[in-house]
Amino acid sequence: MSKTRSAPVKQYARFKSPSDRLFDAGNITFMLLLVIVTLYPFLNTLAVSFNEAVDSVKGGIYLWPRAFTWENYHYVFNEATIFHATLISVLRTVIGTVASVFCCAMVAYTISRPEYVLRKFVSLAFILTMYFSGGLIPNFLLIRELGMIGTFAVYIIPGLIGVFNIIVIRSFIEALPEGILESARIDGAGEFATFLKVVLPLCIPVLATVSLFSAVGQWNSWFDVFLYNSSYKELSTLQYELMKILQNSNTSLNTGQDFASQFANSESGANRVTPTSIRATMTIVASVPIILVYPFLQKYFVKGMTLGGVKG
Amino acid sequence: MKRKVWLSCLSAVLVVSLLAGCSKSADKESPSASATDGGTKKEEKVTFTYFNAAAGKDKNTNETTIGKILEEQTGVNFKLEHLVGDENTKVGTFIASNAYPDVIVPGNSIDKLVGAGAFIPLNDLIDKYGPNIKRVYEPYYNLMKAADGNIYFLPMSAIVGDYLPAPNVDQGAFWIQRRVLKEAGYPKIKTLDEYLNLIRDYTKKHAEEKLTGYLALTTQDKFFAFTNAPMHLAGYPNDGGVIVDMKTHKANDYGDDDITKRYLQELNKLNAEGLFDKSSFVDNYDQYLAKIASGKVLGFFDYRWQAGQALSNLHEAAVKSGNDDLEYIGLPIVYDKDTKDQYLDPPSFVNNRGIGISISAKDPERIVRFFDNLLTDENQILSNWGIKDQTYKVDDKGRFYRPAEMVTETNAEAFRESFGFKYFEYNWPRYGNGSTLPDGNSAGAGRQPEVAQMSYTEGDKKLLQEYDIKSFSGLFAAPDDRPWYPAWSIPVEQGSPAQIFTQKKGDLQRKYFPKLVLAGANEFDGLWEEYFKEFNKLDVKVYEDLITAEVAKKIENAEGKK
Amino acid sequence: MRDIEPLSPAQVDALPLPPGRKSFFKKLVQQKTLVFMSVPFLIWLFIFKYMPLWGWTIAFQDFRANRKVFDQHWVGWKHFKFLFQDEHFFLVLRNTLAMSFINLVLGFFTAITLAILLNELRNIAFKRVVQTISYLPHFISWVVAASIISTVLSADGGIINELLMAVGLIKEPILWLGVGKYFWGILGASEVWKNVGWNTIIYLAAITTIDPAQYEAAEIDGAGRFQRIWHVTVPGLKPVFIILLIMNIGSLLESGFEPQYLLGNGMNVDYSENLDIFVLKYGIQMGNFSLSIAAGMFKTVVSFILLFSANHIAKRLGEDRLF
Repeated sequence: MSKTRSAPVKQYARFKSPSDRLFDAGNITFMLLLVIVTLYPFLNTLAVSFNEAVDSVKGGIYLWPRAFTWENYHYVFNEATIFHATLISVLRTVIGTVASVFCCAMVAYTISRPEYVLRKFVSLAFILTMYFSGGLIPNFLLIRELGMIGTFAVYIIPGLIGVFNIIVIRSFIEALPEGILESARIDGAGEFATFLKVVLPLCIPVLATVSLFSAVGQWNSWFDVFLYNSSYKELSTLQYELMKILQNSNTSLNTGQDFASQFANSESGANRVTPTSIRATMTIVASVPIILVYPFLQKYFVKGMTLGGVKG
Repeated sequence: MKRKVWLSCLSAVLVVSLLAGCSKSADKESPSASATDGGTKKEEKVTFTYFNAAAGKDKNTNETTIGKILEEQTGVNFKLEHLVGDENTKVGTFIASNAYPDVIVPGNSIDKLVGAGAFIPLNDLIDKYGPNIKRVYEPYYNLMKAADGNIYFLPMSAIVGDYLPAPNVDQGAFWIQRRVLKEAGYPKIKTLDEYLNLIRDYTKKHAEEKLTGYLALTTQDKFFAFTNAPMHLAGYPNDGGVIVDMKTHKANDYGDDDITKRYLQELNKLNAEGLFDKSSFVDNYDQYLAKIASGKVLGFFDYRWQAGQALSNLHEAAVKSGNDDLEYIGLPIVYDKDTKDQYLDPPSFVNNRGIGISISAKDPERIVRFFDNLLTDENQILSNWGIKDQTYKVDDKGRFYRPAEMVTETNAEAFRESFGFKYFEYNWPRYGNGSTLPDGNSAGAGRQPEVAQMSYTEGDKKLLQEYDIKSFSGLFAAPDDRPWYPAWSIPVEQGSPAQIFTQKKGDLQRKYFPKLVLAGANEFDGLWEEYFKEFNKLDVKVYEDLITAEVAKKIENAEGKK
Repeated sequence: MRDIEPLSPAQVDALPLPPGRKSFFKKLVQQKTLVFMSVPFLIWLFIFKYMPLWGWTIAFQDFRANRKVFDQHWVGWKHFKFLFQDEHFFLVLRNTLAMSFINLVLGFFTAITLAILLNELRNIAFKRVVQTISYLPHFISWVVAASIISTVLSADGGIINELLMAVGLIKEPILWLGVGKYFWGILGASEVWKNVGWNTIIYLAAITTIDPAQYEAAEIDGAGRFQRIWHVTVPGLKPVFIILLIMNIGSLLESGFEPQYLLGNGMNVDYSENLDIFVLKYGIQMGNFSLSIAAGMFKTVVSFILLFSANHIAKRLGEDRLF
């Protein structure tokens, strides 16, 4: 499949002028530089995460740990809650992403229909919400009134629709050749069937994109756990557990902390563990699973796929 | 009302239409399990919720050794929850929904909780069920009472028995590397000039080593470590942004005073000589610690607990190598020879932190009885020393001590968590730091001289011998009595003009102090004038008056009762 | 429909009213599938986004969370005045806009350029590896990233200073984070470094919609590499670019918070402090919800003005528009 699709690319790639070669060489060099610059922070974090916590205080660790240890990973995985929390994180990421992307696509489809009478109203009603918020307390009270405190649903429902995603999907649908939807309709398909059977498959690249955005958002979010579910251990997520470990290892990192609390901490001996390495370990543990999603989605990013699908 | 109905209709529609798939998973555990307890059957086991606005691992207290023993005594277990995000946000949601954990240990939101009526008054409960609470806290009642005369929370610093100062310097000091003292033949150092000259001499002699003469910590919320130094140099303890006159008891913000100017000018000179690390003003906390841990820095001012990570790093290296040249010693440096240093904390009572019982608690009586039970000598020993022969030993004179291996074991974070020291040695009603037991032992293990001496290395001992002292705090003068101490614990209402002043002052100093230190010698006075003018545009009087009034109140309260 | 009308008069006015109400309802009935596909989400939108707007009343109160709405102390424009009358406010606003603008321009330029260059790579495996690696820094928290940036810029052996000294451009190390006027540049570069790979994703998706036949046609017309990029790829990216641009212009007052907070210090504060940090200091850290909400409302007003202007300009220029 993919071979036939990338064929046109290869065709024009065959004739190489000298300036073409120069461009390619420059391009590849640039990409290599980019790889070095963007890979470094990750490798550095990895190295620090494998370095003895006490030794990391000295700084000066670049690409390789100076005093190798598994201790930091033991420290993080020591918590039995981590595994259950990971399960919740996976669940919220999968369910939240699928639900959100489907709903966003549906709304996006309706507002991409030029004949839809509510088109402008719906668009504007959604778009405006990107630029305001009622604030934290009203939102909290709303969730409480809805009885969603201490539920899994609080991870899915309040963030169900991402306006940004709707707009992105809409602009893709609008870019589709006009004839396609028409022909579907001539075949007698209803709006919903057109959406489901024609539009969704054509939108796979953009759906992959917004899925990634949505999944990363779900995976990384911890603020809703903090606000709504902090007393419900069984609904805790990986990010939240890691935040706990991190703050536990360095209370003074807390930006809101005042002098008196620091004093209290000194008395209670809270400033004991070295944070740098724990922070690095946490970064690795939290990010590797979600980073792996992208390479998997890349196969949907093949040039010409959309139209290839239509023609085929 | 209408809105509520409207809302539930909508939510019903929504839940039915969209939610069908994802069901609720967590109604089984109600936040307050105390509801089941009717209060009649005393021995029935019960779990309360406990919220601490500091970081930590969430646990049930009965999952720790100490907590298990306490549960056997009282039948009470606490489900601990620690703060992960911003305190004001979390507490804001408690207040807005009027639903609280049973027991709360707030940080800086404590005034807000009291103001919101989140805590129940404890006076009557203590009278009825808290003989031990009364014994420990009665001397401080006047300092604990809110404006309405009620006690809403129990602070954690009520001193019981004779006051015992800390053997090691655990607060602020001018730190100097031991090799500097060694090379100079262990001179007695008292003034800032002597201190800086020692550093000057050493760097001159070791020019090839690329040493840093003096380093400062200025990053984010740790900026006070820079601004507090003049206060200590002038012979005052850490009262925060003010010094309180010993005679008139007037609070004075020293930010625009000569003592501050003098400190900045000394650093300015150091900088001109290339001995001050310019990066002090841009480095983050990690970089600061790394520089100290590198062993290239000869001196700095900071609080022990802030530089702690780097200092323990150097200590461990010294233990391994047997050479403590790169370790530091804290000195009580002052401006003038005849100034008495006041670095050590006087016996103090921090009355804006504590533990309170919320209005959501179903059985406050039971909680008060648990608190009371904690305040027996036996249970204070349990919370601080642990179990005899397991986490501490008693010698033939009845003195408590810990052999070296026990010190190591009880300091390990994992052990402190599983045994419960981490949860019980602070954040509960307790004997405050510096308290002693009736038999003369220290209530807290850290202040017992035997424990401190047990952990001294050969290098430490040599140094102590040279200066003819028993422990490192021996270099410091005994603290004078200051009933208001610490003035920084005086509550400043959130968002009030006084609080806005402290924020603006901070902003101003953050901006001008680097300029003043890094400026050329001839620009210094002009810049200071500029800063002085800006400073006095701020409403410093509101702040000073507030603190002065509160100091007066505290003195009155302390004298009225003691 | 009745559910939605109480929303806000402005939006009801914005409705495209057809010549007669009758035909409007007739069409509505005709389009009932579309209505069913969108109206449930309007209800969602109303509950979760519009209903909490009662919270804006907080900006006009000295808010105490334990008081009922009608027991609150109403203080009128006090918090707005505090905001606008602070002598730092305009400096803070300038910094916010400047950093946003720099991030906007740099962000778009680098992301689009990288997307195009990635598209020009012939080796698919190499392309995917570069893509994946370039998006890694997005997953490093700002705390960790800021720490790396500080180390790189450090005056004690930081690589930037070492390099510049090695080639003889400077004689002694520069305190990069200690000079205010460098801050915007440092921040812009940091944002690019951290997010360029991530920002590219959406353009890579957009490139998939370009018909390969267009490239072939261009080539047959004798177009070179750059001409193909200019005449086929760039126009293919334009619709997404315009939409994103309008949306981002609407959020010009959101210049981010963490990097400025973490890299800011007393020496660069005149350039690093932005609106969010100001609100953090005087609102959130002081427990003053009212001030935070007032600042939020101010941002909303500015955002709406910017958004509608940008959309209007796009319309005038005959480009794609947001609504």
